[in-house]
Amino acid sequence: MRYRLVQLLTAALVGVVFAAMQLSSAPQAASYRAPRAPDGHPDLNGVWQALGTANWDLEDHPAQAGPFFQLGAIGAIPGGQGIVVGGPIPYKPAALAKKKENSANRWKLDPELKCYMPGIPRATYMPYPFQIVQSAKMILMSYEYASSDRVINMGKPVEAAINNWMGTSNGRWEGETLVVDNTGFNDLTWFDRAGNYHSEDLHVVERFTRLDADHINYEATIDDTQVFSRPWRINLPLYRRVEKNVQLTEFKCVEFSEELLYGDLRKKTGN
Amino acid sequence: MNNRTKCLLAVGVMVSTITLAQNRTPAPAATTAPAVAAAAKPAAKPYVSPKTSWGDPDLQGWFTNLSENGTPLERPNQFAGRQLEDVKGDELAAIKLAAQKQTVSSFAGPLHAPEDWWQVDLNMVKGSQAWLIIDPPDGKIPPTTPEAKARDAARADARRKAGHGPSDSWEDRSLYDRCITRGLPGSMMPVIYGNSYQIIQSPGYVAIRYEMIHETRIIPLDGRPHSSPAMRSYMGDPRGHWEGDTLVVETTNFRDEDAYRNANGATLRLIERFKRTAPNTVKWAVTVDDPMTWTKPWTFTMPLTMDDSQPVLEYSCHEGNLGLRNILLAARSEEAAKKPSK
Repeated sequence: MRYRLVQLLTAALVGVVFAAMQLSSAPQAASYRAPRAPDGHPDLNGVWQALGTANWDLEDHPAQAGPFFQLGAIGAIPGGQGIVVGGPIPYKPAALAKKKENSANRWKLDPELKCYMPGIPRATYMPYPFQIVQSAKMILMSYEYASSDRVINMGKPVEAAINNWMGTSNGRWEGETLVVDNTGFNDLTWFDRAGNYHSEDLHVVERFTRLDADHINYEATIDDTQVFSRPWRINLPLYRRVEKNVQLTEFKCVEFSEELLYGDLRKKTGN
Repeated sequence: MNNRTKCLLAVGVMVSTITLAQNRTPAPAATTAPAVAAAAKPAAKPYVSPKTSWGDPDLQGWFTNLSENGTPLERPNQFAGRQLEDVKGDELAAIKLAAQKQTVSSFAGPLHAPEDWWQVDLNMVKGSQAWLIIDPPDGKIPPTTPEAKARDAARADARRKAGHGPSDSWEDRSLYDRCITRGLPGSMMPVIYGNSYQIIQSPGYVAIRYEMIHETRIIPLDGRPHSSPAMRSYMGDPRGHWEGDTLVVETTNFRDEDAYRNANGATLRLIERFKRTAPNTVKWAVTVDDPMTWTKPWTFTMPLTMDDSQPVLEYSCHEGNLGLRNILLAARSEEAAKKPSK
């Protein structure tokens, strides 16, 4: 009897500790029941946006000067707390060297400079809003940045036909949480402006959980055996854009990247 | 790897050279639109669109209009006096076959995209219309206004004065070559590949995805007003509502750079109607209204065919745009070759 009580207490304590660990890593309101979409699953429809500075660097980073002194404070890089759960990104040694090289050349190599599609998970925490249009079979995530988008297949999972920028997304519901399994990526996107990167073996499992009326907890587990020694996780809240009549604003950044990409091929005048 | 996948691997390459001219060939038109057919036969029950679980007409799915490729916008003179629905059957099939042959032969020169990128899927023979404009009844775009003529002349004059060649800079190329946009209604006008579309609905919204270049329009249905005139965009500002089973979308606030057929971006209104007329058909009709450009509004129509074998795939047009770099590089190389050697 006494032994069983100890056993029960131990189990309860372990449970509490685990729950506390969950809470510490995520602003999770465990008991919140989201309003339902017509198909009975949690309703994620809306215009959402990440705050913070994850797109500058997933990891902890102090404020720094930007590359162009002419831009003064406008061009400075804001500091911020990282969104990587439990310590630094577990790069393999050779991959860490590549990351550092990326970082040293970030103003030339970051695909965002060129208005390339952002990939997953970066699309989620770019400094632009995105909109979710949720139907039973397909969930559209339309990102303001670069008019990029992806559709999450909620039916029978499909294999990636080809490696590409935004990957192939298969989703399922686990109670209050939308779980999205993503594969089929190319190796051309980065995770942030600090040069954090991946290979074609990238596998991202995302979890979208409503916290309350206007927040989603976003978590992504990132696995890539070529680059990382173990899977790792990011966690951040998404905020609903609550302005009246809010909508995405067209941001076709191709035209902002053309001088950079093709400037060497412009006809020289006066020669 | 199927053919469409191969096309996508080759994205962006020579977009400019492989676009089919929309007006080049008389095209085939097919059978009468299903709704009209139903009306003509009083015995048949009219098709009723299925509904979403929240009660809106259900338009969701993947669509293609690949086989409508090459259909001329205006009624060709050979059909003067005839109505669209009268050109059908063998007559239409013969026109479509001729159009297909002409399209293939127009790529006979030494420089063109590999044939297996596109000829395998080319099937103009299934095209359903001999032309697109249904109003005015003569199938012709109404005359342009004096303002429009003056605007066209001013633009041509500005181009002349700038003295630019066709490839002095990327800005001398089209927005399509640059993988920026095909605008509206251009994004749904079939071209050589990438003619897949997807409609996704949620309560209060309809989203339309366009494969070519990659565009996503999210259309609010809640009756909100259009954005302010300061908010102009390439794809415009869409607002939708249901009229019975028809989705009506009014789009305004266009940028002048891509306003349809050189319209005035600030005054152009495009009114699209999407109606499911058969289990696998959504009829798309577009009314073009810009009093600054045309003397009266005009309307064209085209069916979209639901086809699960033609899902929208990622078209990373800009990311793979070697074509634009190569066009500019070729122009600079040509100039260098012409320079007298010192």
